[in-house]
Amino acid sequence: MELLRPDSAEAAAAALGNGSVALAGGTELVPLLRDGIVRAEKLVELRDVVPRGVDGTRIGAGTTLAELEVDPDIPQALREACSLAASPQLRSMSTLGGNLLQATRCWYWRLNFPCYLHGGDTCHAKAGQHREHAIFGNERCASAHPSDPAAALLALGARLRTTSREFSLVDLYRLPTDEERNVTALEPGEVILELDVPRPEASVYLKAMERRKWSFAIVGVAAARFADSIRLGLAGVAPIPWALSSVADLEQATPLLGTAYKVQIARALVRRAVEAVSAPAGA
Amino acid sequence: MARLIKTEKEVEGRYSEQWVVVEEDALEQWPEGPLRTVGRPATRVDGLARARGEARYTQDIQLPGMLHAAVLRSPHARARVKQIDLTPASELAGVRGAVGPGELDVLTDEPNYEGEAVAAVVADTADHARAALEEISIEWEVLEPLLDVDQALARESFLSDPKLYERGDIERGFAEADVVVEAEYRTQSVLHNALETHQTICEWEGETVNVYTSTQWLWGVRDEVAAAFDLPKDKVRVICRFMGGGFGAKGSAGDYTMIAAELARRTGRPVHCRLDRREENVNSGNRNPTIQKLRLGARSDGILTALSADYVCLLGWDGWLPPTAGPVQMLYACDNVRTVEYGVRLNSPPMDAFRAPGFVEGTFGLECALDELAAKLDLDPLELRRRNHADHDPLDERPFSGKQLMECYRRAEPHWERRHEVHARADGPWKHGVGIATQLWYGGGGPPSYAWVRLAGDGTATVLTAMQDIGTGTRTAMAQIAAEELGLPVERVTVELGDTAHGPYAVVSGGSSTTPSMGPAVRAAAGDVARQIREIAAQRFDVEERVLSLAEGKVINADGGSWLLEEITGLLEDGQILGKGARGPNPAGMRVMTYGIQVAEVAVDVETGEVVVERIYAVHDIGRVINPLGAESQIEGGIIQAIGHSLSEQRLLDPRSGKVLTRTLDAYKLPTIADVPEIVSELVDVPDAHLTNLGSKGLGEPPIVPTAAAIANAIRDATGADVRSLPITREEMLGALHEADERRRVPERVGAAPA
Repeated sequence: MELLRPDSAEAAAAALGNGSVALAGGTELVPLLRDGIVRAEKLVELRDVVPRGVDGTRIGAGTTLAELEVDPDIPQALREACSLAASPQLRSMSTLGGNLLQATRCWYWRLNFPCYLHGGDTCHAKAGQHREHAIFGNERCASAHPSDPAAALLALGARLRTTSREFSLVDLYRLPTDEERNVTALEPGEVILELDVPRPEASVYLKAMERRKWSFAIVGVAAARFADSIRLGLAGVAPIPWALSSVADLEQATPLLGTAYKVQIARALVRRAVEAVSAPAGA
Repeated sequence: MARLIKTEKEVEGRYSEQWVVVEEDALEQWPEGPLRTVGRPATRVDGLARARGEARYTQDIQLPGMLHAAVLRSPHARARVKQIDLTPASELAGVRGAVGPGELDVLTDEPNYEGEAVAAVVADTADHARAALEEISIEWEVLEPLLDVDQALARESFLSDPKLYERGDIERGFAEADVVVEAEYRTQSVLHNALETHQTICEWEGETVNVYTSTQWLWGVRDEVAAAFDLPKDKVRVICRFMGGGFGAKGSAGDYTMIAAELARRTGRPVHCRLDRREENVNSGNRNPTIQKLRLGARSDGILTALSADYVCLLGWDGWLPPTAGPVQMLYACDNVRTVEYGVRLNSPPMDAFRAPGFVEGTFGLECALDELAAKLDLDPLELRRRNHADHDPLDERPFSGKQLMECYRRAEPHWERRHEVHARADGPWKHGVGIATQLWYGGGGPPSYAWVRLAGDGTATVLTAMQDIGTGTRTAMAQIAAEELGLPVERVTVELGDTAHGPYAVVSGGSSTTPSMGPAVRAAAGDVARQIREIAAQRFDVEERVLSLAEGKVINADGGSWLLEEITGLLEDGQILGKGARGPNPAGMRVMTYGIQVAEVAVDVETGEVVVERIYAVHDIGRVINPLGAESQIEGGIIQAIGHSLSEQRLLDPRSGKVLTRTLDAYKLPTIADVPEIVSELVDVPDAHLTNLGSKGLGEPPIVPTAAAIANAIRDATGADVRSLPITREEMLGALHEADERRRVPERVGAAPA
């Protein structure tokens, strides 16, 4: 395998495709290469060409989660989402841009079962083991999106700037369809450069895990208050980061037999998150 | 004169008779309490070497010209190889050989579980070998696997005959009961996941094969390899000087050893065969799941009148039936007991011993059911346990050899009393509770086990025995025992172990048997040396031998005079004083067991099902404690492993294909340091007066036995919910809370079985 080190973001974007894959922190890509899920002839190193660091409301996509978790200038929800993700070792390697693009932890997908997400016609999790799986958007594929920061950024209404355009984070994700199984809408050769993250009055991220550290979310709930409106973003509940407008939306959940418990956890965490960001009475 | 007798030997509840040669002048036990070295905390003699990376594990060994093997393992739970061609793999650059089904006993063309070895290749590097596996041409006929337990029971797919045990009259027992509880408990499959994966390097030197392997039993590997390659036993030399954990799964040679030996024989070069983490999580043994149906009857005063238990143990394709019914049969005095154990054979990876196999699972069911009984009787759970204390072995009325369980209960009392203040910590959705569970397990060890000690002219001693230290600190404990007997500081004793060519035969490091088997042999060997020193000193200084003793590196005369040890050993210049020792028999007609109780404090978020273990108090009775520091670390390790087993660890199989889904450490959730509670440990430390010249039992397994039940009982205390299935995931916890709510709402409809 060959490692390319382009000297600009444009050059990096141009080098992608045709067996060339982008490499940032590598915490996601390297295991996928090892397991033969991603095949690459060349890796395109993004480290030196994608912006890194925080400037006002703008966050470089190359900023590591470890840098974000201690940054006092970013919204609390994003800071907490970063600090509750993975382990210190992984956080010091992994970048925000890479985190948004990570694939599901669904064990069937990771073991290369010929599942719907891999282009097949059935979701093996539905009839199999699925306690970590989705409660929303799971008609064709029950995988759960693992990103904590994505849930926070969804609640915060973040926008992305890439090598070719600017758009809302909501539009980065789409449920897989018969025509398109990829859950992210990045064009071939498009690289995320920067995020614009509005400052809320208050925000929070709460996460339920199977152990106390280093575990993907059973349910992660981010809440952000802008003036009188509270926006919610959830991790671990759908094949993509999932937005809710209120706790009542949880009535629309379509849990599997083994994920019904997630609805109950989501209900408690959404209620707590909303409480945490609500303006104190009389304020 | 030596005397030949027969004694009883036990490993993890499997008993056998054993001829043993007994020395007539066996040493008396030391007096109770801390001595000069034994009974006092000692840091590990190999701690620095391990911390500095100087300790060479099997993984670290690089032999000149060493090749690397990789194993083609079945991707199917049940299949037949229709056609296989190794040639495309063998012809690749860097590949030095390949072996397939029919060429080696551990390779099969009809795999019966995912991961069963089919073929192997050997190459210059591990990467070459793995890449070559992809090139093996293979055509499969995939067959329907048997994975469903109900189907397996209907077909009577058993590995061995169901095991029935009865005493008294179970029907009469239940008829005499004022209260009966009945419930089903389930335990999951958990994986050992030792830091060092299973692996072996084999190297042939003429007719001898050197086997460097990560093992819990050098001599067992020797015998297996000798049998497989038709060699005299001592033509197989097995070496394991440092080991990165086993937990029960490294008791036998394994397919990787046979593959390394065969490929080394064929290539004439050393071959390393090492499981990677993914193989480790599929194919290196597991704790088998159980389904337990328990029924307990008691009089209104709490005295048990009947215990009935059915155990379905899902063993996988191979293995053995662990003593799951042991706790029900032996923990409490009860006249009427009936147990049935079924060892179900499925197309899933074979079970292997895992730290107190059977008793961990059986104790979970029994100790949870006992607390459910206590609640129904409105009796204090600790008092219920005291009232049913077994004063002698309920199996056959034998006296127990050294049993301090009542003392454990007494010491646990103040920790159990903390529940009133713990309950008061309740805050919003967080409820707090305390739970207890009792433990019994084997751990007496046995013969044959031998040690040699040599004392050099400079007054330093070396213990030689071909035992293994699997990471538990036995090297340090053996140094302490020899130092104590020789009156030397522990720094002047070196322990050489881990090589069948360097020292005599030693016991398997399993069943908590290492210290109680090897310790007495080491003490006897050191005692042999000590006796010779006194004899030499008596002649040299013209005093009576009986007035001499050894302490602080000196030979001390009862009149107050003393000589440095070197003054005696130095007489011989490079001459050495050699001692030998053997493990004596177990006490005839007595049952040797270990005991303890743990008290767990937990917090439960009743809205999200989060369970946090906040504190575990553990008190165990293992007879004399050799190294209190090492013992404390064993207790902590056992409890941490138990917390994973209780809350987060579970091997998941796909119900249709039988493939292991949790094969990496992000999916298979071991506890992290953040999941570890405050652990307060204590040992009764009273020597077992009947057991060997030490009075010591093993501690490797006892601490993992009661933890899960103590946690589940604490959860009931906190929330009123009965968790009866491991692991206690959020799903399990919320389900149990829901059931408890329903029960409160409609008390007449739901609830335990009628009395």
